[in-house]
Amino acid sequence: MDKILEVEHLKKYYGNVKAVDDISFYVEKGKLFAFLGPNGAGKSTTIDIICTFLRPDAGTVRIDGQTLGKDDDKIRSSIGVVFQDGFLDELLTVEENIKYRGSFYGLKGKELQAAFERVSEAAGIKDFLKRQYKKLSGGQRRRSDIARALINTPKILFLDEPTTGLDPQTRKKVWETIVKMQRDSNMTVFLTTHYMEEASEADYVIIIDNGKIAARGTPYELRKKYASDSLQIEYDNQAEIENILIKNKINYTLHNGQAIIPLKTTIDALSILDIVRPSVKSFEVLSGTLNDAFINITGREIRE
Amino acid sequence: MIIFALRNFKVFIRDRLAIFFSFLSVLIIFALYTLFLNNAWASALPDNVVGGQALMDGWLMAGILAVVSFTTTLGAFGTMVDDKAKKIYKDFSSSPLKRSSLVGGYIISAYLIGIIMSLFSLLFLDLYMLIRDGHILNFMQTIEVIGLILLVTLANSSIVFFMAIFIKSMTAFGTVSTVVGTLLGFLAGIYMPIGNFPTGVQAVIKVIPLSHAASLFRRIIMSDLTDSVFLNAPIEIKDSFLDVMGVNFAFGDFVILPWMQILYLVATAVFFFGLSLIVVTFRKER
Repeated sequence: MDKILEVEHLKKYYGNVKAVDDISFYVEKGKLFAFLGPNGAGKSTTIDIICTFLRPDAGTVRIDGQTLGKDDDKIRSSIGVVFQDGFLDELLTVEENIKYRGSFYGLKGKELQAAFERVSEAAGIKDFLKRQYKKLSGGQRRRSDIARALINTPKILFLDEPTTGLDPQTRKKVWETIVKMQRDSNMTVFLTTHYMEEASEADYVIIIDNGKIAARGTPYELRKKYASDSLQIEYDNQAEIENILIKNKINYTLHNGQAIIPLKTTIDALSILDIVRPSVKSFEVLSGTLNDAFINITGREIRE
Repeated sequence: MIIFALRNFKVFIRDRLAIFFSFLSVLIIFALYTLFLNNAWASALPDNVVGGQALMDGWLMAGILAVVSFTTTLGAFGTMVDDKAKKIYKDFSSSPLKRSSLVGGYIISAYLIGIIMSLFSLLFLDLYMLIRDGHILNFMQTIEVIGLILLVTLANSSIVFFMAIFIKSMTAFGTVSTVVGTLLGFLAGIYMPIGNFPTGVQAVIKVIPLSHAASLFRRIIMSDLTDSVFLNAPIEIKDSFLDVMGVNFAFGDFVILPWMQILYLVATAVFFFGLSLIVVTFRKER
């Protein structure tokens, strides 16, 4: 196992506010890694620190063998960052923007041109290269930001809320681009998000809340551990079904004319159904979602 | 650093409104002069004087050349303030671009913009004088003026840079630009000749580097014109004219010579760039 990013005991306090409160984790090479958490959980602060922009109060960060604080220039050469707000120049065209930023990495001439063509292909921005950044739509801007972040062929790409603020359709398309790019190039991608759908597609998820790591694991592990499957039964007679359930010591809750019964595994539904069969009008078995896991972990739903 | 300077240059050039505003005080001077001052002074000159109009136009040209590099570099450094305000520098500092290249890039592009705008103004004013007075700067004067533009732009951009590093929002920057741009014309004796101000204000004007830039430009541009206008006049009248118009400066009996003014401008550039460097280097990191 190859660790490309290792963070140990990272802290950043702003007065009494513990933005990042002693977090440790690592990211494996070639994986899609997601930092999931509500706004203000400390996701952006963590990214700002790792990208050499903010100084931590304590802790160590190593990226691809380089230590933050000592080899900052080497780290900057090997990372790409897509910030929450786009940071390209409004009045310049997409092409000018990307090429100027590319020159910051010492790229020039044919090398720069080759890199430029590579990233325009990968980010899908070929149709509007000559247009001014300010005249682009939200999705086009985001793609341009991604292309800019890829210009130095980073070993690890950071995306801070890459799809926030986009309409659902555009969001889906941009997300597909990110996932495809990650799979094709086998680049390590580290992203923060507050969308469950996105986090559930990651290889590994860390749930961060109030500056602390609340849970970690693959989406499957998190669901398994923190979200239970459930059996939902629509009934004819409430008293009748409750009677049976209580008699058999089965936990349940009632909701919208349905009895909801938590399950350890979906198979357990079979034996319960046998018992309550007479009062079942219809039923469905639902497996736990990452959203359920998130609610169980943080005690609340994700805030928009 | 050079490529970053080019980026700054392009960002500024694409912003038509920024260009217009950086020229605003020049336009004010020009309008003030052509609409009001010119008539007042021309009528004050004796009828038998030949070339009085050209002399006054030369005075205008010198004033504008002194101030234009200040206001246009101010506009150019707007890119730096904007990068700060919009947090675009976050992107820069996540790349291996050196801090010194970043600062150098801003200065180079502002300097370049200041020079280009000055040369553009020179060309325009030369044409203006040619059409109105049939007078044009001769070859030596042109060379000297261009040389002086290089120096004055350096001194002006150093002051402007020092101001700009403390400004964090575009609103604040806009306010500062407007106030400074407007005051500058007065404080450097460009809207009004220095002789029209009370002695206290005159002393302030003489301390400001820009006044010396204006004085140097006047010395070059107005030399042959004054000689011909005051050909038959007593030397005292000519001298008093040169004092009133801020061509020659003196503190009491101490006459300030051109080389002292040049030195003063060089010292200004060194002082403010040095001070800025200290501020930028030792500014507290977050």
